[in-house]
Amino acid sequence: MGARSSAGMASWILQAITGVLLIPLVGLHWVAQHFLAVGGLRDFAQVVDYLRTPPVFALETAFLVVVTTHALLGVRAVILDLGPSPRTLRLSDLALVLVGIGAVGYGLALTLALIR
Amino acid sequence: MLHRLTGLALVLYLSLHLAVLSRLRAGPGAWDSFVHLVSTPLFLSLDVLLLGAVLLHGLNGLRLTLLGLGQGGGWQRKLFWMSLGIGLGLTCLVGSAMFLR
Repeated sequence: MGARSSAGMASWILQAITGVLLIPLVGLHWVAQHFLAVGGLRDFAQVVDYLRTPPVFALETAFLVVVTTHALLGVRAVILDLGPSPRTLRLSDLALVLVGIGAVGYGLALTLALIR
Repeated sequence: MLHRLTGLALVLYLSLHLAVLSRLRAGPGAWDSFVHLVSTPLFLSLDVLLLGAVLLHGLNGLRLTLLGLGQGGGWQRKLFWMSLGIGLGLTCLVGSAMFLR
């Protein structure tokens, strides 16, 4: 198995694992946002209270990391379908990693700024 | 193709969702007026469409994972239609609950 195909297999396995993890994470996020909030969607004070609850913070952080990983691996799969050169694939991989770090960092920074 | 389309739509939504959450930084006034806007039936309908995309993508993803693991090869066509039916059924059910709440 070549380096590219073993990397592809690792991506596929990670994509499948994050996909399965998303089932409970999306389910809980959806129920929490649409069915548990009093009066519909949360107002500002309710968002802050919600995120200050430690299990909720852990759950939402896990959701952010898992959904970002799954989404960017999906974008990578679409790029692979287009038959990129090895150099283009390396560059797009780097760009996707940077986007992922940026998205998770942004989400965490926003959450921490709110709950402090 | 359906999986790719729903996946790309969800990536686009995720980007917009993260961008929109930045309104929280502007304080209670900005956020609460935004929540008032997205609580209207139009935005609730868009949320139901989002739910449909999530369910179709998730259920079809499970089918593709089974296929990738070498399982259910002879059942792929049935599994595809089952995932479509369950996805649409759950979308109608949960979507109705969201509107009736």
